[in-house]
Amino acid sequence: MAKPFKSTRRGITGALEPGEARLLGALLDDVISMLEPETGPSEDPLAAIVGMSGADAESTAPDDSAVRRLLPDAVRGDDDEALAFRRLTERSLREQKIGALRSSALAIESNPVTLTDEQARLLAQALNDVRLVLADRLSIETEEDAERLHDIADSKDVDDVESYLALVYNFITWLQESLVQAMLKAARLQR
Amino acid sequence: MTVGFATGTDTLEEVRTAEKTDLDQPWVVVVWNDPVNLMSYVSYVFQTYFGYSEAKARTLMLEVHEQGRSAVVSGSREKVEQDTVALHSYGLWATFEKSGSE
Repeated sequence: MAKPFKSTRRGITGALEPGEARLLGALLDDVISMLEPETGPSEDPLAAIVGMSGADAESTAPDDSAVRRLLPDAVRGDDDEALAFRRLTERSLREQKIGALRSSALAIESNPVTLTDEQARLLAQALNDVRLVLADRLSIETEEDAERLHDIADSKDVDDVESYLALVYNFITWLQESLVQAMLKAARLQR
Repeated sequence: MTVGFATGTDTLEEVRTAEKTDLDQPWVVVVWNDPVNLMSYVSYVFQTYFGYSEAKARTLMLEVHEQGRSAVVSGSREKVEQDTVALHSYGLWATFEKSGSE
């Protein structure tokens, strides 16, 4: 079992079992491939450089509900306004998220894992995105849904794909909580 | 929002009035409750990104959790647009709107 993250003089440290690190690495890669924009040959290179989506590409909200949760509408109740804003900002948001996921995939390759403040922040973002995707696949829509899955904490509780996903979700939740507690502690000590 | 294995050692302190969001500004960023984001993480984001005190971050986090939404910062349209995208990079469910349009 992984050790919880701790705030130490060398930064934030933690340790994953090799199997856990492989699982997390695969999840990070999955989310990266979900977020990678589909770039066509006709794309405007200037628009790509400034992080704007091409006028013809990605002009609608993503079809996959998990991707839509990662890249949500910034305006509620006005689809045209939300879409206009998405066209200006979505690509750079995708790239920011992919950057955090890639940096995290690299950081968890070492054992023990030792993180600077910046790496810890990126890993917390990446773990959150992994959890958002898993929660979508598990149809967690209410707090009751989330609680229903809390008890699945051991591989002996697993008997189908859903309970396996729930076990993974609970593990990533535990990992993120321990990371956030370590970061909050580090922040208190720095004040 | 949800709780992880440890709720930490936070105590609920009174937020000084001077720290409260200035709602005279024309636009606000609203954070919406969702069942996935950890309460500790949402507090962490409010502290880290906005530079809020632990007490203010916790008060706003609880407002999101209990009331379903909270206007967490206000400012010009340009500023709230930037803040909304930044909160999306953290995975929070945020939107921007005209102040008082709820």
